[in-house]
Amino acid sequence: MNDSEFDGHLQELRRGTVVLASLQLLRTPGYGYGLLEQLASAGFPTDANTLYPLLRRLEKQGYLDSEWNTDEARPRKFYRTSASGIRLADTLTQEVAAIASATAALREEEN
Amino acid sequence: MTATLTDRYITATVRRLPQQLQTEVRDELQTSIADAIDARAEQGEPLEQAERAVLTDLGDPAALAAGYADRPLHLIGPKYYLFWWRVLTLLLATVPACAFVGVAIGKAVAGEGIGAMIGEGIATALSAIVHVSFWTTLVFVILERTGSESTSKWDVDQLPQEPGRGAGRGDLIGSLVMLAIFAAALLWDRFRGVTVVDGEAISVIDHALWPWWMSVVLVLMLAEGAIAIAVYARGSWSTGLAVINTAVALCTASLFLTLLGRGMLFAPEFVHAVFARNGVDSGALAVLAVLTGVAVAGIAAWDIIDGWMKARRTAIAG
Repeated sequence: MNDSEFDGHLQELRRGTVVLASLQLLRTPGYGYGLLEQLASAGFPTDANTLYPLLRRLEKQGYLDSEWNTDEARPRKFYRTSASGIRLADTLTQEVAAIASATAALREEEN
Repeated sequence: MTATLTDRYITATVRRLPQQLQTEVRDELQTSIADAIDARAEQGEPLEQAERAVLTDLGDPAALAAGYADRPLHLIGPKYYLFWWRVLTLLLATVPACAFVGVAIGKAVAGEGIGAMIGEGIATALSAIVHVSFWTTLVFVILERTGSESTSKWDVDQLPQEPGRGAGRGDLIGSLVMLAIFAAALLWDRFRGVTVVDGEAISVIDHALWPWWMSVVLVLMLAEGAIAIAVYARGSWSTGLAVINTAVALCTASLFLTLLGRGMLFAPEFVHAVFARNGVDSGALAVLAVLTGVAVAGIAAWDIIDGWMKARRTAIAG
């Protein structure tokens, strides 16, 4: 019973939560690599090649706004969750909570 | 100065993207990769090794570009797969067989031997398979990439009918009535003649075939009738019955084809009165003979296949 045995299922379950976590974290503006680190320390380890295209897609869908910050030596593209992104994040959070309580109810039934 | 690994990686990624995305993705990737390398270097990793590690983590540039451009990484996805499969199997079940038969008939009409008929027929059928597979798939690959929404929705009315097992009363009556009509037509032709030319009835089948050849035909017809009755009595087809049915059908077909090939089947007076007198030359007659032969072979093939399919369905249904 090692973890790699369940990797496929775990990945599938986690896939949607990266969107939720990114939208929540980007309520305060952030940039690509910084967000990658934040996600990892917040318990949502994500691959760079998943996150970067995802940010672009969420921006295209209007859930993220972006702005180039050229104040520092290295210009960075900063993302911030838009108003509709916040609504999406709230909906997703409720859904995750609903799934969690439904899962808990299943376990209680068992006992 | 030679391009760094990072430059090469970014170029490989952005050149797969639409023009309007390229500059932005290039700039963003550049900083993201530089940030990641710096973070590793701060941990004391040599710069070159850090760069390699970061780029390795990012993976195949083609996959990354597909992510940015929202392009599928498959030829035909779940949205179209079943539709594609249904269209392809339908076409593959029909087109190559039609191509084979068409070419074989063409070769026969042109007076070529059985070897050329089969050889050319198989070659054409094979190229038909390749063409059908390629062009059908190409259409669906384009559909997948242009994102057309017009997929046909499945609904319950598309469920296949439970196929008949061919053992009902209707099947029995149908078979016996057909055989009776055919036998009556043969006898009527022998004693009265079924075609009327200049007010005189003449026979289609050569009288020389009676009584021996034709009694074989009648026996084979009786065998067909017996099979139909056996199927009805047993309540289903079986492998044994399918074997007997195959034997009877092959005998019947080879009998007629032999007679046709030797020019013994049709009465000379009939051929003369109906065709030759009306300006149909011998070349055209040969073509008609080939077509008749194809029809005979086709009917026999259908009869054989039908028997086996029904036997198989019975076996599957238990």
